[in-house]
Amino acid sequence: MQPDLSSYLFIGAVLFVCGVICMATKRNAIGVLMGVELVLNGANVNFVAFSKYTALGLDGQVFSLFVIVLAAAEAAVALAIVLNFYNNHLTVDVDRGNKLKG
Amino acid sequence: MFSELLNNLINNTLDKGLDYFSAELWLSGTIVVMLLMRLFSIDRLVPTFIVGLIGAAAAGWCSFGQFADLIAANDPVSVSFFGGMLRQDLFSVFFRIFLSLFLILTIALTVLTGIPDNEDAPDFYTLLFGATIGMMLMASANNLLMLFLGVEMASVPSYVMVGFLKGRKASSEASLKYVVYGAGAAGVMLYGISLVAGILGTGDMTLLADRIRVVAEGGTAGLGDPEVRTVALGVMLVMVGLAFKLSLVPFHFWCPDAFEGASAEVAGFLSVASKAGAFALLVRFCVGLSGVPETANLMTAFGVGLGVIAIITTTYGNLAAYTQNNLKRLLAYSTIAHAGYMLMAVAAMLVMLNSDQAAGLGKAINYSIGGLLYYLAVYMFMNLGAFAVIALVRNYTFNEDIDSFKGLISQSPALCITMLVCVFSLIGIPPFGGFFAKLMIFASVYQAAQIHWAMYVVLAAGAVNTIFSLFYYVRILKAMFLEERPANVKSVPLPAMEGYYVVVLAVMVALLGFLPQLVNGLSSIANEAGNAVLLVIGG
Repeated sequence: MQPDLSSYLFIGAVLFVCGVICMATKRNAIGVLMGVELVLNGANVNFVAFSKYTALGLDGQVFSLFVIVLAAAEAAVALAIVLNFYNNHLTVDVDRGNKLKG
Repeated sequence: MFSELLNNLINNTLDKGLDYFSAELWLSGTIVVMLLMRLFSIDRLVPTFIVGLIGAAAAGWCSFGQFADLIAANDPVSVSFFGGMLRQDLFSVFFRIFLSLFLILTIALTVLTGIPDNEDAPDFYTLLFGATIGMMLMASANNLLMLFLGVEMASVPSYVMVGFLKGRKASSEASLKYVVYGAGAAGVMLYGISLVAGILGTGDMTLLADRIRVVAEGGTAGLGDPEVRTVALGVMLVMVGLAFKLSLVPFHFWCPDAFEGASAEVAGFLSVASKAGAFALLVRFCVGLSGVPETANLMTAFGVGLGVIAIITTTYGNLAAYTQNNLKRLLAYSTIAHAGYMLMAVAAMLVMLNSDQAAGLGKAINYSIGGLLYYLAVYMFMNLGAFAVIALVRNYTFNEDIDSFKGLISQSPALCITMLVCVFSLIGIPPFGGFFAKLMIFASVYQAAQIHWAMYVVLAAGAVNTIFSLFYYVRILKAMFLEERPANVKSVPLPAMEGYYVVVLAVMVALLGFLPQLVNGLSSIANEAGNAVLLVIGG
């Protein structure tokens, strides 16, 4: 079977849902950040697929390039914050952050 | 052929783009200078905040030049630059001036309160400037890519600023929560952007409504069409990201935690600047989706939906604020409530813009955006004033609870009077600035109610909430003015400079209500800016 737009979108949707589930269920801060990466890359798959099959054209690939760079920057900042949390709490379990009651 | 294209592009960028972008370039340049200063240890000789103030003032001056040009031209213009990524009109210039001025005020506050110390100052101001550039990009975004980049550029430095108080458990916890929720919301928003841009085949926000018309193939765009449904889903996901930035219910839970953990200065910056950028972006996004009859039904429903969210947000914020003892937390809930009031203006705009009488309502639609901008301008002074008082009192009592404010009137009347003015303005008591801002928003909601009955409910909820908010704001005043100062609380001897600073903020809040020339001038500029952002429709 020749892959078409919908099969790529399906993969993107699966990545997105996996990422959201990962964000919602993981108690480990690193695990949550991995979920975020899955969501971002699910969107990237969409962008590249749309760029091949629809009028979005090269714009889609530019979108995904920017997102890749931005995801790296965001991960760096997020990991630094996780490290800061670890220094103060000696754990990366997000549930242990319970001093502030949101 | 190709070289001609390239030449055009270069000329366009050099002639216009760089000029339009000069405020952001000044801020970026300042960041580089501040980082180099640290590298060569110049920051020991020249305090970093001086460089920061110069950079922010230069950015403000450039924006003011653009503003003067636009006003002098006497013909509202709206042009896209940098290949359609950004848009230059009075709306984006308004926000550039707003953010530069706010940046100057925030730097002045951090200098007075001593957070950050000299060692950390270059890092802190770098983050502050980076976030401000992101907010300016949000205000002038013309493309879905810039929408995402602007939000991220404003958010990522904010995460770090919240966690800037090193070695404090609450601060690190607040920034972890903020970054985890923020990154999640940004990811969801990006997925929404991928659906919208992919199905409609463009990232240009001004073309979105037109493309929906094409997708709907002549008929009215309805949710029965799978492609329109996918676009609607994408728009909802984008709204998740924006609602997170605006701390709208149900995406508000980060806000009280982040504000409590962050220093009061950072909380003040986030509560005003990041809201302003996000509202600018929301207006641009909503305007991009409106303006063709085929999408009118869906967009009216969207506007009413925003109205419902606004009701829930204001009510929740005002009710939850009542039980708070930490003042930063209390003001965080007040921020949530105010985001709800401002969202009412956007809801009113959407309902009016997409009614069949939109052509006759041109002025009223301008006024709804103008009311939002006026509200933001007043909010800048009154909220920063309140946070500044908290920060200054904290420096002496090492405490941000409402108890440390008890009987403050006997020790530093300047702080108490400032807090009084800011709080009255936050409630919306005449004749302070907040009253006129609220009046303008409620007036445009009333206009919108002539078109859709649901806006009457929004109007009623806004009025009732104004009364709800009275109770918890007055609690602060009661503690300050009527109660005895407990013996174990340290005294607050206020130095002159800090007193002047808060009094200036209070005077601005008062003048925005008392001085008719200022009220009229600012509101007519705000209405002009509202007109400018609508130019993309039918232009």
